[in-house]
Amino acid sequence: MLEKQMTAHRVDRSICAWFWDYVLSQGGDSSKILPVIASPTHYLFQIFREGITFLACAQVEMPPLMGIEFLCRVADVLTDYLGGLNEDLIKDNFVIVYELLDEMMDNGFPLTTEPSILREMIAPPNIVSKMLSVVTGKSSNVSNTLPDATSSFIPWRKSDMKNASNEVYVNLVEEMDAVVNREGVLVKCEIYGEIQVNSNLPGLPDLTLSFANPTILNDVRFHPCVRFRPWESDQILSFVPPDGQFKLMSYRVKKLKSIPIYVKPQLTSDAGNCRINVLVGIRNDPGKTIDSITVQFQLPLCVASADLSSNHGTVDILADKTCNWSIGRIPKDKSPSLSGNLVLEAGLDRLHVFPVFNVGFKIMGVALSSLQIDKLDIKNTPSRPYKGFRALTQAGEYEVRS
Amino acid sequence: MAPPLPSQRSPSPSQPSGRSEVSDLKLQLRQLAGSRAPGADDSKRDLFKRVISYMTVGIDVSSAFSEMVMCSATSDIVLKKMCYLYVGNYARCNPDLSLLTINFLQKDCRDEDPMIRGLALRSLCSLRVPNLVEYLVAPLAAGLKDGSPYVRTVAAMGVLKLYHISAATCFDSDFPATLKSLMLSDPDAQVVANCLHALQEIWNLESNNSEEASRERETLLGKPVIYYLLNRIREFNEWAQCLVLEVVSKYIPSDSSEIFDIMNLLEDRLQHANGAVVLATIKVFLHLTMSMTDVHQQVYERLKAPLLTLVGSGSSEQSYAVLSHLHLLVMRAPMLFSSDYKHFYCQFSEPSYVKKLKLEMLTAIANESNTYEIVTELCEYAGNVDVPIARESIRAVGKIALQQYDVNAIVDRLLQFLEMEKDYVLVKDLLRKYPQWSHDCIAVVGNISSKNVQEPKAKAALIWMLGEYSQDMLDAPYILESIVENWDDEHAPEPSYMFTDKEHRGPFEFSEELGNLSMGAESADNAMPAQRYEENDLLLSTSEKEESGGPTNNGSAVSAYSAPSDYDGSLISVNSQTQPETAISIPGSSAYTSPATLAIDDLLGLGVPSAPAPPTLKLNPKAVLDPATFQRKWGQLAISLSQECSMSPQGITALTAPQALIRHMQGHSIQCIASGGQSPNFKFFFFAQRLDGSSAFFLVECIINSSSGKAQIKVKADDGSASEAFFTMFQSALSKFGVA
Repeated sequence: MLEKQMTAHRVDRSICAWFWDYVLSQGGDSSKILPVIASPTHYLFQIFREGITFLACAQVEMPPLMGIEFLCRVADVLTDYLGGLNEDLIKDNFVIVYELLDEMMDNGFPLTTEPSILREMIAPPNIVSKMLSVVTGKSSNVSNTLPDATSSFIPWRKSDMKNASNEVYVNLVEEMDAVVNREGVLVKCEIYGEIQVNSNLPGLPDLTLSFANPTILNDVRFHPCVRFRPWESDQILSFVPPDGQFKLMSYRVKKLKSIPIYVKPQLTSDAGNCRINVLVGIRNDPGKTIDSITVQFQLPLCVASADLSSNHGTVDILADKTCNWSIGRIPKDKSPSLSGNLVLEAGLDRLHVFPVFNVGFKIMGVALSSLQIDKLDIKNTPSRPYKGFRALTQAGEYEVRS
Repeated sequence: MAPPLPSQRSPSPSQPSGRSEVSDLKLQLRQLAGSRAPGADDSKRDLFKRVISYMTVGIDVSSAFSEMVMCSATSDIVLKKMCYLYVGNYARCNPDLSLLTINFLQKDCRDEDPMIRGLALRSLCSLRVPNLVEYLVAPLAAGLKDGSPYVRTVAAMGVLKLYHISAATCFDSDFPATLKSLMLSDPDAQVVANCLHALQEIWNLESNNSEEASRERETLLGKPVIYYLLNRIREFNEWAQCLVLEVVSKYIPSDSSEIFDIMNLLEDRLQHANGAVVLATIKVFLHLTMSMTDVHQQVYERLKAPLLTLVGSGSSEQSYAVLSHLHLLVMRAPMLFSSDYKHFYCQFSEPSYVKKLKLEMLTAIANESNTYEIVTELCEYAGNVDVPIARESIRAVGKIALQQYDVNAIVDRLLQFLEMEKDYVLVKDLLRKYPQWSHDCIAVVGNISSKNVQEPKAKAALIWMLGEYSQDMLDAPYILESIVENWDDEHAPEPSYMFTDKEHRGPFEFSEELGNLSMGAESADNAMPAQRYEENDLLLSTSEKEESGGPTNNGSAVSAYSAPSDYDGSLISVNSQTQPETAISIPGSSAYTSPATLAIDDLLGLGVPSAPAPPTLKLNPKAVLDPATFQRKWGQLAISLSQECSMSPQGITALTAPQALIRHMQGHSIQCIASGGQSPNFKFFFFAQRLDGSSAFFLVECIINSSSGKAQIKVKADDGSASEAFFTMFQSALSKFGVA
């Protein structure tokens, strides 16, 4: 447990005991606990990431999203700094964690959460700095100079970048959320997309990104660096990028009609047995290879034992009755199928609970929303920078019900 | 991480538990304190790390305070930070010792590195030791005028900390005024934000005490300040924007053009990547338009898209918070969201608290245009692995059915659930609202085996349905009876409510069962909760009402039957003396036969009593009696005869279904009015009518156990004197069953 007191009012540690008691009373699974809880003394905000619970206490009522967003940001920054998130990592680096918390919040009010700026104040504990400390015997992980950005008008960028490699990459990363119902009808199909930019440009570059078909976008959200007016009038993204990797924009494309692969589950049960048969195949060929196809489902609790086999790929049944069928690529000559028999618990005749099949896949080189980047203009740079574009679509919440 | 069990919380062997480790650390620190040797900083850092790790796991290392302070004279910034952390944690319990730290912190506040200045000032203000306040003022004043914005940010917050330690010192030094001028002039947005935060908190807390403070608070919310902040809003970082928006939401604009100006200015904030900013903006919008009803509706429309976007992106915790807000909006204006129902479809992987909210919203926004889709979707969840959610979704379907007029399809689906043994409560509610569906439902309800119903509420609902529609369900009494027989297992209050409820509706032959029930409950256990007692009282009082309503003492008869063991020995001994009397009393009018003697008859196994043969009896082969009259008569009449007799083996084999016996008895002018049960227990209610002038009825309850081959027969008669003769006829008819 790591504790950081932010305000003059000290929160006693016993609140954690109260919290754990509460968690236990709710079934003991932290990930299923409400994010906002009113304890007798405090309002508690909690988020759960990779086995770590982040808990914040507030004495007065406050906007809940502020608490939750901040905790999420803390989790993100820690993951970024420590290269992952688990108990050991935090234990090994608690000094850094304290330093980070110190800069991220003062007296209960969030200060700096922008990772690029934090990184200038507190060096991440990477291998390079460890090497340096061994070689030079000096291992300060705090830079001696204050970042200029804290005082600049563009808080996400330090005012002068010297050793930049003069290149910028734009990644379209899309996730397809789809729901196919029991009758095989596509109930919902949406794409959630992000434009991730990795910028290494000198000076104060001014970028303009335009799309060939911006009208398909719904629900856009921007990084603070994006200027709002050009988007409003011409659907053009105009911005001065922060240095390094950042999420320029997120969007949603709704009401799509086609899905790349189909999954057809069939369950027939009688007399205490249930025949299961799942077929997977390509429905609409996206033009590129569909990779890393997986089908995952949870066997109902009333299933006593299961015997599953497939003609392609591997099937694993985990201890918590999760079934993993990793297919990989769909072979040309046959369509993969999984079949088997589920034995129900004694006394049950038929299956009344039906599993939901979660499908995973990855398609490189295609944005399934058909969003296209028209061009990227870069102004204000001393020399012509290198520009790179990539696209990737993967399954988000892609579920098929049975 | 699973919550640690209490046993795991105790120190593990790897952690120091005693004082020895701490004193060991103290010793090492002391040795290093004055050392200027190369590498001393590294060993110090190791030691500091250990001290702080002990502090983190909750071990008290405050005893090393002076050693830590001695070691803190260093140029290494990491060491300094760790030392600040330590000092900040323990200064309050060591006020005397913390005086030592003041010196080096003050020195650091004059360091040339702004970072060290800032950190030192922050730590200095975080000491929170009241008697050191005097040392705070000078560094704070210097900090507020510092050239580095970082130090000014820290100093602004420091003023707030000072205020919490000693409000008087804070005002004496005129810090609030300095903050205000800094807020309105500083070029750095973060400094402005921190000043705003500090001022807001100070004036809010002070405003109860002084006129001036509340005036100051007013100016903070006044037009000049608000406009100043709004104009700079883009310079602030996301959290500061939240703060500014929070302040703006308290501002009351003078006219509508001002409102629109503000909303136009803030509109792009709705697309911010940070959900907190978006929600703060939404709050401003809603507050601003509170008084303008038509615009308020438009604002809802405008807010819809960003909110729905927020739901879809981010973690489940974030979407829960957003959904909770959406929930409010949906409840206020469900029509607005009726076309966006797909946003509230549940994904399998979502935590159940999110699913629950979504279900509620789906229920709320269902209308004529989308009911079909929503119900179809909800029905898909009914087979969900997550049982509470499955239940919840069926309930949602039911709620929608209760709202809508077009319930046709919905009822069909619900009945499917019934067959899946999911939810009975709902169907009951539905039936209460739409009695016209009863016929469809009853067919299904009849097939429910009461043994499979475990949940108390479901049981209650089932009982209600059986009771309410018993006239349409021939089986109802028998199903109910079996529920009563298993009553002992039941400890929830709800079913008994239903029993009493049903009882008032129209007793069939339940008073007897009810009597059993209350007896059983009374003797069950003494440690029953108070509520249960109330239930029993309720039950008892209703059965007593029945008794007083009827002319005979039906209730007491029941009690005599259900407690034979108590009477056993004593009665038999009594009986040997009273036998002559008994023999006389039996041929007499059985309407006056006391229940006790009947019990004795049973106990002694008298069989057919040796009494004068009654006059021959002719029965009406076409007797007619409607169920209501039967019920009434059954309730009114006392048992005139109760016997157990054996069935012929052929009769037992012929008795595969109740219908066979019913037809057979009809051949003997004995009609059946109700029958039920399954092998091996069958139960019949027969009646017959005398053919002679009196046209009196005989009513018979006949319970046949086909495995033991016994039939228990109870006869009630309008004319009790003829019941013996009738019984003989009945018995002979029964014995011929299957023989012919």
